[in-house]
Amino acid sequence: MAGIIIEHLKYKYPGTDRLALNDISLSIEEGEFVGIIGRNESGKSSLCQAVAGLIPSFYKGAYGGKVLIGDLEVKKVPVDELCETVGIVFQNPFNQVTGAKATVYEEIAFGLENMGIPKDEMISRIDGAMELLDISRYRDRYPFDLSGGQMQRMAIAGVIAMQPRVIILDEPTSQLDPQGRDEVFQAVQNLCSQGITIILVEHNMEKIAQYSNRVILLDDGRLIDFDSPQRIFSRGDLDQYGVEAPVYTQICKRLGHKMEDTGCYPVTLEEAKTVLRQRKGG
Amino acid sequence: MKTISLYVDKGTILNKIAPESKIWYVIAAISIPALMGIRWAGIGMIAVSAVLLLYGKVLRRTLPFLGVSGFVLLTVLIIQGMFWWGNETPLFALGPAVFYVEGLRYALGILINIINILMSFCVLILTTKPSDMMENFVRRGFSPRFGYVFISVFQIIPQMTDTMSTITDAQRSRGMETEGSLAVRIKAFIPLIVPVIMSSLINTKERALALEVRGFNSRKKKTFLNEEVKTAADRYIQIALPVLILAAAIWRITQWLA
Repeated sequence: MAGIIIEHLKYKYPGTDRLALNDISLSIEEGEFVGIIGRNESGKSSLCQAVAGLIPSFYKGAYGGKVLIGDLEVKKVPVDELCETVGIVFQNPFNQVTGAKATVYEEIAFGLENMGIPKDEMISRIDGAMELLDISRYRDRYPFDLSGGQMQRMAIAGVIAMQPRVIILDEPTSQLDPQGRDEVFQAVQNLCSQGITIILVEHNMEKIAQYSNRVILLDDGRLIDFDSPQRIFSRGDLDQYGVEAPVYTQICKRLGHKMEDTGCYPVTLEEAKTVLRQRKGG
Repeated sequence: MKTISLYVDKGTILNKIAPESKIWYVIAAISIPALMGIRWAGIGMIAVSAVLLLYGKVLRRTLPFLGVSGFVLLTVLIIQGMFWWGNETPLFALGPAVFYVEGLRYALGILINIINILMSFCVLILTTKPSDMMENFVRRGFSPRFGYVFISVFQIIPQMTDTMSTITDAQRSRGMETEGSLAVRIKAFIPLIVPVIMSSLINTKERALALEVRGFNSRKKKTFLNEEVKTAADRYIQIALPVLILAAAIWRITQWLA
């Protein structure tokens, strides 16, 4: 089981007085697609790094509470072992290129070589990851010659190839064009449908609303809410947390159109269409 | 962003030869003249390196390295020629500066050694893909960190150059003068260099994180995507060069005993 349980997680970076994560408790089901939203410095990246084990093992600092992935307590497992269970993709694609490999194909193999995966399996995993991210045509290119978007897809492929049960994406599409962004979201959703747990930090609320099963709302290191996108974006106090609801939700809020079954405002285009049709029909 | 790499793929046999064979060549090129103690051996090795570099189509790329070291070599020639402790026989004079045969001979020995080392390393560096070199080190049981430090050198330079150029543009756009007299340049130095160093440290931290989460420090036995390619030439080279080194050592011992 790769469900995630976080119990009373508190964390303070070294040399600071402020809690970056303040008593966070929540539980994520296996195979769930969870979005994390909140203003800058609200603790989104810190929470991701705590789940990936980089907090506290890499950053040190004051740590309290527990993060469990299945049976593993994250704090007690070295990152080089944990990376077989949890993969993380960062915001800046350039800094994720190892620089130790001459081609995109070899770059994706880097993690697999470190994990000691046999060559045949390595090839099948790399091919699968490249196909999923639509980067097969770049296989012989020098990694640093790729554009930001291509480089980010290569970084995601490198993580996907390691077949972790949980994948964390910390603003992975911030440097991609709209088409590249959709491709990445589609690929990530495919992974989720295969039973992999996805945690995504993203400033594009439409995408968060479209893909997430549930959304974590953070502010100043505290967990404000953890619920369905419909309930989160129907909150009346989102402005207070520096979050803007998806445009469909904003329109329906102004019109006062809620969904009949949930009593929440629609968050996706499809939901908004349904609500508007119902209103028109009624 | 492009990265600076000294490696050039010219499709010659030197590009195909295993890094280990070229490392053996470097060891042989340095140790054989040192063991034999004969100046002509050093000159011979320089000639061999020059032929290899010419054959590898990278001889021209060696010239900047020789040019950079030229200043040091010239200094050695002047200082040893004038002030070496064993100087006795004047060869020529430039005004008050007298150059001696013994000092110049000694300096020539140093020159040959330096050029020999430089050119043999060029054979290795200019014809070997850095990633192949790192993989070779790891296969031979070296820590991947050792190989990565080697590779990083080729990454840091272009990354810092790129950052420096971006920061210079940003500071110029805010009205800071970065060109002109020495005083202006010195004044501009701190606001330029501090952000470069800070961003390089941040980038280094992020890359360390990215490596960490891809199992770079894993204690598992590593596997490799690429098979280790050893040509017939590699097998001969890796036998012949150690034998030549051994022969040079034996020759030197017999000279001592005689």
